[in-house]
Formats: sequence, C-alpha cells, structure tokens
Amino acid sequence: MTMTSDTTAGVGIGWGKRSLRSMLEESERLFAETGRYYGIERLTLKEEDPIRYEKLFSRLRGGMVNARETALNISASPIVREIGELCFALYTPEGDSITLSTGIMVHVHTMSDAIKWMIRNNYEENPGIEDGDIFCNNDAFIGDVHNADVQDILPIFWEGELIGWAAGVTHVIDVGAPLPSGMPMGPIHRYEDGFMLSAQKVGSKNRLHRDYELRCQTAVRLPFYWMLDQQTRIAGCQMIKEAVHRVIREEGIETYKRFIREVIEDGRRSFVQRVKELTIPGTYSVPSFMDVTFGGEAGRLPPEAAKDTLMHAPLTVEIGSEGEFKVSFEGASKWGYHSFNAPPSAMQGGLWVLLTQTLVPNDKVNDGAYFAIQNNLPYGSWANPDNKFCSVSIAWVYLIPGYSGIFRALSMAYVGRGYLEEVIAGHPGTWNMTQGGGPNHYGQPGAWTNFEMSSCGTSARYVMDGEDTCAAMWNPEGDMGDVEAWEILEPLLYLGRRIRPNSFGPGKFRGGSGFESIRMVYNTPNQVLYNLGEGNVFLGTGLFGGYPAFAGYRQSIKHTDMARRIAHHLPYPISDEDPENSQMIAHVEGVLERDKRTIHLPDPHAEYDLYLSVLRGGNGLGDVLERDPTAVVRDLNEGYLLPRFAASTYGVVAFQNAEGEWELDAEATEERRAAMRRERIEQSIPVEEWIAQQRTRVEQKDFIAPVRQMYQESMSLSPTWAAHFRSFWGLDDDWSL
Amino acid sequence: MSNGTGSRPRILAIDAGGTMTDTFIINERGEFVVGKAQTTPHDESIGFLNSARDALHYWGMSVEDAFSAMVSGIYSGTAMLNRLLERKGRKVGVIVTAGMEDYLRMERAIQTYLGYSYSDRLHIVTHRHNPPLVPRKRIFGVRERIDVFGKVAIPLYEHEVRAAVEQLLRMDVDSIVVNLIYSFKNPVHEQRVREIAEEVMAAEGRSAPVYLSSELYPLRADFPRLNATLLEAYAAEPSREQLQKVRSVTRAHGAKFDLRVMASHGGTISIDARELARTLISGPIGGVIGAKYLAERIGVQNVACTDIGGTSFDIALITDGEFQIKNVPDVARFLLNIPLVQIDSVGAGTGSFVRVNPGNRRIEIGPDSAGARVGVCYPEGGVDTVTISDCNVVLGYLNPDNFLGGEIRLDRQRAIAAVQQQIAEPLGLDVYAAAAGVVELFEDNLKNDLLGRIIGKGYGPENYTLLSYGGGGPLHVSGYSAGLNFEDVLIPTWAPGFSAFGCACGDFEYRYDRSIDLPIFPGIDDATRMHLGAVINAAWDALADQVAAEFAKSGIPREQIHFKPAIRMQYYGQLNDLEFRSPVQRIEDPGDILQLLHAFDTLYAKIYYNAARTPDFGYLATRAIMTGSVDVEKPALPHRAEAGPVPDPEAQVGTREVYWKGAWIATPIFAMDRLHAGNQIVGPAIIEAPACTLVVPPGRKVRLDQNDIFHMRPA
Repeated sequence: MTMTSDTTAGVGIGWGKRSLRSMLEESERLFAETGRYYGIERLTLKEEDPIRYEKLFSRLRGGMVNARETALNISASPIVREIGELCFALYTPEGDSITLSTGIMVHVHTMSDAIKWMIRNNYEENPGIEDGDIFCNNDAFIGDVHNADVQDILPIFWEGELIGWAAGVTHVIDVGAPLPSGMPMGPIHRYEDGFMLSAQKVGSKNRLHRDYELRCQTAVRLPFYWMLDQQTRIAGCQMIKEAVHRVIREEGIETYKRFIREVIEDGRRSFVQRVKELTIPGTYSVPSFMDVTFGGEAGRLPPEAAKDTLMHAPLTVEIGSEGEFKVSFEGASKWGYHSFNAPPSAMQGGLWVLLTQTLVPNDKVNDGAYFAIQNNLPYGSWANPDNKFCSVSIAWVYLIPGYSGIFRALSMAYVGRGYLEEVIAGHPGTWNMTQGGGPNHYGQPGAWTNFEMSSCGTSARYVMDGEDTCAAMWNPEGDMGDVEAWEILEPLLYLGRRIRPNSFGPGKFRGGSGFESIRMVYNTPNQVLYNLGEGNVFLGTGLFGGYPAFAGYRQSIKHTDMARRIAHHLPYPISDEDPENSQMIAHVEGVLERDKRTIHLPDPHAEYDLYLSVLRGGNGLGDVLERDPTAVVRDLNEGYLLPRFAASTYGVVAFQNAEGEWELDAEATEERRAAMRRERIEQSIPVEEWIAQQRTRVEQKDFIAPVRQMYQESMSLSPTWAAHFRSFWGLDDDWSL
Repeated sequence: MSNGTGSRPRILAIDAGGTMTDTFIINERGEFVVGKAQTTPHDESIGFLNSARDALHYWGMSVEDAFSAMVSGIYSGTAMLNRLLERKGRKVGVIVTAGMEDYLRMERAIQTYLGYSYSDRLHIVTHRHNPPLVPRKRIFGVRERIDVFGKVAIPLYEHEVRAAVEQLLRMDVDSIVVNLIYSFKNPVHEQRVREIAEEVMAAEGRSAPVYLSSELYPLRADFPRLNATLLEAYAAEPSREQLQKVRSVTRAHGAKFDLRVMASHGGTISIDARELARTLISGPIGGVIGAKYLAERIGVQNVACTDIGGTSFDIALITDGEFQIKNVPDVARFLLNIPLVQIDSVGAGTGSFVRVNPGNRRIEIGPDSAGARVGVCYPEGGVDTVTISDCNVVLGYLNPDNFLGGEIRLDRQRAIAAVQQQIAEPLGLDVYAAAAGVVELFEDNLKNDLLGRIIGKGYGPENYTLLSYGGGGPLHVSGYSAGLNFEDVLIPTWAPGFSAFGCACGDFEYRYDRSIDLPIFPGIDDATRMHLGAVINAAWDALADQVAAEFAKSGIPREQIHFKPAIRMQYYGQLNDLEFRSPVQRIEDPGDILQLLHAFDTLYAKIYYNAARTPDFGYLATRAIMTGSVDVEKPALPHRAEAGPVPDPEAQVGTREVYWKGAWIATPIFAMDRLHAGNQIVGPAIIEAPACTLVVPPGRKVRLDQNDIFHMRPA
C-alpha cells in the first residue's frame, strides 16, 4: 500500500476535521489496546437513559428495514424480489456496521471491509469523498463474497462532516462473465469472473456518471436488470441518509456520535455475553471436505485446473472462559484453479449467515459481534488466497462445506449447557444447484439459475427430526418457488418434484428430507445444463452418532424416446427415488449419463433429454438403534425411507399387510437390534489398534491423488497442522508429502 | 350506545369469534347497540340469536320486531379459520399433475416460517411444517402437462385419472380437488378430469363435488392456487352449512334481508357465492372497510388506519380513496392466491410482553403477548411477565376499576411490583420512569412502523388523516402520532367496535381475477392495440359474466350491477405489478390502451422513485379484474347537535393522579358518553368509556365533532 501524506488535523472530512484514515487508525489502536470498541469503557448513554438509547436504535434500524422494503420493489430481478437477496446497512465513518436491515445476513461485515479499503487507500484525497458521491464495489478481495453481490456505498455528511456511510447490496442476475449467470461455473482466474468494480466512484452529486452508465450497457448481458438493481441500492441508501438526518435533527449530532460507538461496543459485549450464557468453553473440532471433480474436463480446462481435487476445512471453534470466540481454519488446503476460492470477506459472510441462525438470531447484530470474534484464516489457503487473481465466482461451493461444522460445534456446547432445543446436527450442502443456458422458449438467448436449492432439508435436532424441504445454509427462509414461476424462465418442463426417499442422514432423529426434480428439456433445440454439489464426500458428519446425509450424483438421460411415450400415453419418469432401482431409468429409453462428477462444465442437452436434480437432506443425530421403531415404520409408509434400509440401518423389522401398509414386528425388531448391537461389539477394536492399522497406510502415503495433494497443501501451508497430523499418526518429524 | 327510542334497526353485523359472538345493530340515526353471547360451534345460529337478543334488549325490542325492519345483515367470523386451524374440515381427495403429489408436505418450504417474528424467521431450529389438510395417500398424480404458453405438452393420461378417481372413491372422500400445472392458461385437462370423475362416479352410483382450480382461482402460481382451491373444499363448504343455518334463523324470525358475508377483497358476498374461501379472513379487514366508508362520508382522500388490539398493531393505508390489495397473502400459515385487503401487522399490542434481556440489559417488547389475559395486573389471567397494559395501569392511564366497564378488576399494586422487579431494577430506573419509558418506546416503535409504511408509499404523514381504533388505539394514539404532523387525527367514540361497524359498511360486491399475462410492447400499431384490447375485453366480459351469475343467485338482475373493470400491470421485465381501476369501461379504440398505460405510469411514479420507471421495454398486463357491486344501505353516521366547547360539569367524573413526562399530575377524568358534539378537552385528561380509554396528554387537545368522532390536535 502506498502511504501518502496523512492529514491528521485541519483538513480531513472526518470528525473535528480529521482524516478518515486517522480516525480508523485510532479506532484500531484503541481496540488493540483495550479490547473494547473505540476503547469505550462505560456505555454512558445507555446507562443514563436506556429508553432513549433503545429509541435511537429502533429508529435507525427502522430506517434500514424501510429502505429495504421500499427499494425491493424497484428491482426487476427475481433473485432480489423473490429470494430477497438484498440488504442495507449503516456504518460509522471508520466503516463499522451500526445496524442492518433484514435480508441476507451475509453482509454484516463485507461492506465494512470495502469502506475500510477505501479509507486505507486514501480515497479522501483521490478520488475524493464528497456529499452525493456513489461508490460501487463487487470485488471479493476488497470486501464481498463474489462478483454477483454488487454493493453501492454512499457517504453521509452532516454540516460538512462525514458522519457515516449508507450501503446496500443485491445479488445480480448476470455479471458479464464469459458464461452467462451471476455465478458462472468454470472461471479459474478473476479475469473470467466478469465485470469487476473495485470500490469505484461511479457517481457524484447523487447521480451516476454517464460514462459508467454507458459502460454498464456493454459490460453485462442484462444491463436492464443491472441498472435497475443499482437504482434499487441507491434509492435505499438515499432513504438511509434521510433517516439518519432525521434522527440527528431530533437528537443532535453529539448524541448520534456517541450512540453509534456505544451501540457497537454494546453489540460486542452482547455477543460475548451470549457466548458465555449458551456455551461451554473448550475447543470444538469440526472438519469437513469438498470435492471438485474437474478431472473429467481435460481439454476444456487447462491442465492445472482439469483435475480432481479435495478441499480441506479443518475448522475449530475455540471458546474461552470469558466468552472469547475463535474460529480457525488452521491447516486449510491451498486456493485453487476453480471458481470456489473465498477471500476473508467472503469467509465473514459465511460465518454470519450461520451465527444469526443459531447463536444470535436477532435484529441487533452489528459489527460489535465481529469485534468479539477472532478469525484465523491461513494466508495462502482457499480461505485467504495469497493469489489475488484466482476466481471467486461461486465462493459458496467452499463456504457451505467449509462452515458445515459451525452448527455442530455450537450444538455440542449447547448440550453441555442444557440448551437441548437449540441443538441442530449441522447443515447439508445447499444443492444440487441447477444452472443452464442456451436458446430459450421465446427464441432468445437465455441463462438461468434455479433457486429451488434454497429449500433443502434441515438437520436433526436433539428432540426431534430435522425439517423436510425447508432452508438453505445461506438463507433460513427457504422458498422453492412455484413450478409456474420457474418455467417462465427455463425451457425445461418439470416432470416431477417430490420428496426424495433416503435423502436424509439417519439417526435417533433423522435429518429432514430433501427432494428431487426431474426436468425435460422442452421447446428449445438445445440447452447446456450443469450440476453443482458434492459427489464423493460428506459435508462433515452427523451428530452424537447420527449419520450425515447422502452425497449426490449426476444423472441425465439423453436421446430419449419421450416423444414416442407421450404420443402413446406410455408411462414416463416422474421420480428417481432409488439409485439402485432408478424409477427414472426404468421409465424411459435413452443414453444414460450417470456418475459422481457433480461439479462439471456445461453439458449439452437436446429437446426431450431428461435431467435429474437431487436436493439434499439434513444430517441425523443420535444412534440409529435408538430411533423409535414406529417412527421408522411411519417413514416407510410415507415413502421417506426405502424399505430395505429399515432393517439394515435401523434394525427395524416391518412387514406389509394386505392393504400394503407397513406394520412393525416389535419382537423381531428387538431381536434384530440385539443382534446388531452384538455385531457392533464383535466388530469393534480398540482405537489404538485401529490407528495402528491405518497408520501403515498413512506412513506409506497410500492416498489417492486428490487426498495426497490436499494433505500436502495443508502441511506445507501450516507447520502447526503438519505437526498435529504427524503426532496424531505417530509419524517421524521428517515425514512429508 | 343509545336508548334507541322510536328508532328502526336497519343493519345487523355479526362477528362470530371463537368464544364469543358479537352482534352490532345500527339504526337509521347511526345509533347502535352491541350484544354478546357465547359462540355455539356445532350450530352457530343459536349463539347468534342469543347475541342478537342481548343487543336488542337495550332497545327493548324483540328479535321479530327488529329483524323484520332490517335491510341488511352481514356476517363475519372466525369459524372457517378455526375449522382450518383445528384441521376439522372435510375428507378431501386431490388430483394434481403427476410428480407433484408432495405439494402439501413440501409446502414450497416457505410455509415453514410464515407468521413468524423476524427473530424466529432467522432461528433455524424453530421452522416447522404444518400438518397437511390432506394426507399424502389421498393425493394422486395424473400424467399430463400444459406448458407456459398454455399449449398441451403432454396429453392427459385418462386411464390414470380413472384409476385415481376410483381409488379416491374407495377411500370415501367427500369431494375431489383438481389442480394441474398451468391450468389457468388452459383448463382443458382439468375439465376433462372432472368429466371422467363424473363418469366414474355415475358408474358407481356415487356423487361428490369436483373443484377445479382453473374455475375457482384461475391465477398463476400452482401452490397458492392449490391451497385456495383446497380450502374451498376443505373448510368453506362446511362453513356454508353453518351460514345457511344462521340465515334460516334470521328468516324464521321475520328477516327479509339476504345474509351476506364479508370477503377478503373488502366487499360482502352472498353466502351462496361459489367461492366462499375468500371469506376466511373477514374480521380484521372490517376496520379498513369502515375507514374507507368514513373517509367517503367526511370527504377525506387519504387515511392511515391504525388498529391496536391485545396482540398486534395493524396498519392499512387508504390512498386516493382506495385501499391496497395483496395478491398472494398468507393466512393461518397458508399461501393463498385470494385477493386480500393489504394490512401490515406488527406483533405489538397492549398485551405484548416486556422484558429486559438479561444478557445485554436491553428492553425487548413482544413479539409474543398475553392477549386477552391482559397482564400481571389481572391475577386471574395467570400472567407473570410484564405487559404494556401493566405499564398503562402503573402510570394511571388505565383505570383499574373501570377496565372493560368494570367487568375485570385490575390490581395496580401487583403491576407496580412486577414492573419494579422485572424492568426498573435491571435498568436502574425508578419504577414509574421505567413504565413510562416502556410505553414511550412502544409508541415510538409504532410510530416508526407507521412512518415507514407511509414513506414507502411515496407520501408523507401530512398527506394523510390518521384514524385510530381498536381497544388500544385511543390509549396510544397521542404517542404514536406525536410529531408526525398528520392532516388530522381521528378517534371515533366507537373505536373498540369499529371493525364490526366496518363490516356493516361493506358493499355488496363480487370480485373476480384472472391471469392474462399480456405483453404490450412499445411502438405497436393501432391494429395491434385493438387486438390487445379485444383480449382484455374478453377477459373482463368473462369475469363480468361470473359476477352477474353470482348476483343472479340473490335475484339481482344484471342491469342493477355497477361494473368496475380493473387491471394489474407492470413494466415488462419488472416483477412488481400494481392494481388500478381502468380509466375506461371497455377498450373501444386504440387510444384507450394508451389511457391504460398512462394511468399505470402515473400510479407507478407516485409510489416508486421516478427513476425506476422503465417503459422502454413495454408493459405486461398481468391480471384482468372485474368488480361488480349493487347499492345497499350503509350505516348512517351519528349526527349530533353542537353543544359548544365546554363539557357539562357532570361529564367530568373525577380526577386521578397520572404520570406525565416525569411528574404526577391530578388529571381530570371524563366519561365519554357524557360529552357532546363541540366539546373540547385540553390535556392532560383521560376520557373513559367501558371498552376504551382516550389519553389526552399535556400539549394536546381533543374536540368531539357532530359525528361522534374525536379530533386530536396540538393544544
């Protein structure tokens, strides 16, 4: 970073004519020295007048919510309108969030990073920060999750002094990447991620610059949507500015200034208190993995990208006795040539969507909570790439599995404390994500992403099964949308959308079911389709002996006889149900493509080709042999469980009566379960023995290529983790990969 | 209320709640009586008759005398809603497009958190599916597909329909609901399903009604359409039987009027109407209908309606004389494509719980509430958490001995102790300062919500008249209107009964909607415009026929119907469609299309930022709507003689120490029913009526007008 002349006094736009940079530096110094936001010791405003304090908060928060609710109607994008991928926030002059609107909680901190980046790069001097300016950012290395999340950031002035920032973010439909979509699959460098705005000044005097507007007309595929989204964000930010001005007029600037700092320190203390209240100190290890199956893309991707790789997320959550909360990815594998790298700001996003679903589900979260958390994101890893040119197009592919341990770690702590109703056995992968493009049914070029993936099953709770078809990791408010809505955008008919049997992780309490959709390419000569999800690994584990939900697969049937079947009223597939007894394959002739390459580049399909999308279920909790046998029978009767797994998984013996209904054979079940328990004992060996057995394989480096590469990366990036690995397996100090 | 001497009862409004049935009877002078009796769910006509008798005894009239004089009877109630919530509906079978049999257990995911507070919407472990109205085994799929253009992509597999119907009959279903994808675009498959079902039933000598989604709710969105159609079969039909019983009772006692029901679109419909599910939510919208009527009568265009009950704060806006309609509302955690008067409900009422979060010592109000159990001050209610009502009692706003006319006695000391322990001590405040702070915060939050809705409409408070009603409205209106500079602030003396009054104000009106999804591209020629016009006219004509057919059931000829065509439109590519009354009755020439577009442009610019207008890509007319109404008698507003600004001495019934901004002031207490038109009262003052308390703080004054409405202004 170039250091330009600092303007500590006399000429800055900050408080008391200081520069923003000196304000930021002071804030950071005070926090480093005291551990408290801006060094604040007493929350005097809150102590002296708790009512006024609360009123100030609710007025500012109300301003954010109103901005969102009103601005929402301007956007044309279904992602913004229907899925609600839109969020507004208010920041201090230093860029710390004071309060947020409802909406995607991902952005508690991302825009903060962008504001700080502008301050550190002395935007105050060049390009200048003035009342009426509009800055736009979608650069994840500056402060974002990926290019699809575009932010507008507007400074707020009061009597010539910068008193804060209003910022808004929407998830856009297209970013002008080589492939259509906001989250194109396939970029391996940021140059392919699409239109990039690195905290650029795009407007002044409350108007967008003409040159910027013209550039947008050609920089993205759907400039109409892009511009309307921008209007949405700017309109919301303008409303925030007005709301802040109203509050200052009523309460006075000095109160406002005092309030915004106290409320952040208050947010920090609240988070610490919440951690102390609900959890038990300790280190919770909750690792997970994610496979990238680009091995099949040789010829379509350069050699460094066209290979199967494995992502390593050795997540630990460390809780201290004073409410310290440390999230560490020490030992994470390296960034890679794919679209899934996640810079620190994106990592923050992933963390916040989860913490606000369990530990702090309220409307008072702000950057105070961020200050209460320590993050360890090893430099050079996928979670903090040292290469600023790698792609981040679909950072979620790593964020989702990377953080799959958060719920589990917290749940272990909740159990320790007796908060059993809060327990949830992790989250499943929010996929299969169905994307596609090509000539659409209106004869126009089209591109689309189906957001029915927002409605996966949730994981089992301590006291009950998980919820079927319910939520996404990144948004607890799932909505799979109507068939009649998606088919407006997609030239594919739904032939079925049903609960998918066995899509949950088994346990004493099972995960919620996922579902499956069978689509037929229709009313178009051709269409490229992609799958996206895990195929060879599980996202973490279940909890307390429960099993994880299943991994996915890719299944299309091409060159089908669908046209003939339809003409002759012959059965055609409406479900798949069981990979070993596929109903999809059974009901159509054609060329089957089925494998575990669940991450791949666009795959051409023709009219009447069939595509299967399997949406994931949640993880299980507790020992399968403790599951209430009548619950297993109910799952059989309602089609949640494939019959052969009743006995093999749960030890439940059931039979079908004359009407075809399953009934429990209680006695046989008891016998079967007793036998399974005996088998378990017979098969079990002491842990030391098992380690000794496996150790030989490890010592001989008997790994498949992706595993070997993953460990090699983890060990080379982190000597700490390497030492941990060696000591676990009892390997020599010079053992390496 | 009044003695009603020499008056003739004209209008009857019934509000049958889960426990009590209220009857509201108005005479030609706008005077009214309210009767109460226990609801009798097995036969609601019994409770209704008892309630009507109770009301009429105030006027010393028999049911026979009163009923024969009346011209209108309107029912609203929660019976259908309760039937739905308790899952006590009919045994329905369902036929859907094959592969879609899991609609009701997947619930589009969205139904797992509908009706939740913001906090619970985030809080993932709280999300739950609803028990389905129809078990999975009674839902059958039939292979077929209509595509997005309404073309048959896959023909109906008729043998599958036959098999499904046979199985459903074996399961002994009461009725069959059919919802096929894109049937609103092309109903041919649904119609064929019904033909086949009837054939099968005829062959088996059975009969059961078949409900087609394309007939009842021909609107886009397959899941809400299924819900709405299902509701019709599941809960509405059994409720119709109850309504018929109530009607029989009125007729048996001499009534000549035809009993009508308040419907979600804001009009009243006959109990013989084909679509009765739209009467599911009738009570809460009554207030908005009443406000619209009041606005018309007193000549105001824009009204902000605010209703505070025990559990919620409901806001609705009437702009340019019209309330807004929500297209796909959620009711009782069901997503329905039944047009509903737009009311935004915030979980903040007089019964809302108040807590200090032990972690961060911040005050939290709601979202849960004690509801009818009032608060700690009502020991019989069994509540031990402080509520807003407790704070009102502590501060002297509420009279503990005159709550609900003295029916319930409140214990002020108990409330003081609870506020002291739960709020004041943790915050380090004096108990009265704490209670006052909570009320101030509560009212401030309401103010923020109200302001937000108005700003969201593109207006400011100075463009609106604020109307406050509900049991808690008059108590808090001074607080939540403070500083907002409304054109006027109105509090009707009948605020607690305003929703029932509103039901009596409903037009006799049917409304039908149909998805048309008609693009109107820029630069089209007149011939194309006329073609588009023909499509719109055809849709309006079909809807008008439906309206006429419904009125025909009540013996009303087509000539008497006022038809009001409307349309929903959006900019092509945008998603937010707006509803507006068509400026022309029919599209007769190309210029009429331009008039439609112009009306939309104007409305859009008013609501959103001008910059968001994008007519460059054209327009999309999404829905054709036809409303038809006939003239019915509405309640007269009371009209009293002016009596001058000074109240009669006996109007002041006492004084009470009341806490105002940190000080106890001996405050005059007035009896509302002893005030006269023209009387003016300067705060501080409390005006009490049996079911409501109007708080007039220092710095504000109220004046009672000739229509029995208080106007609140700065003193």
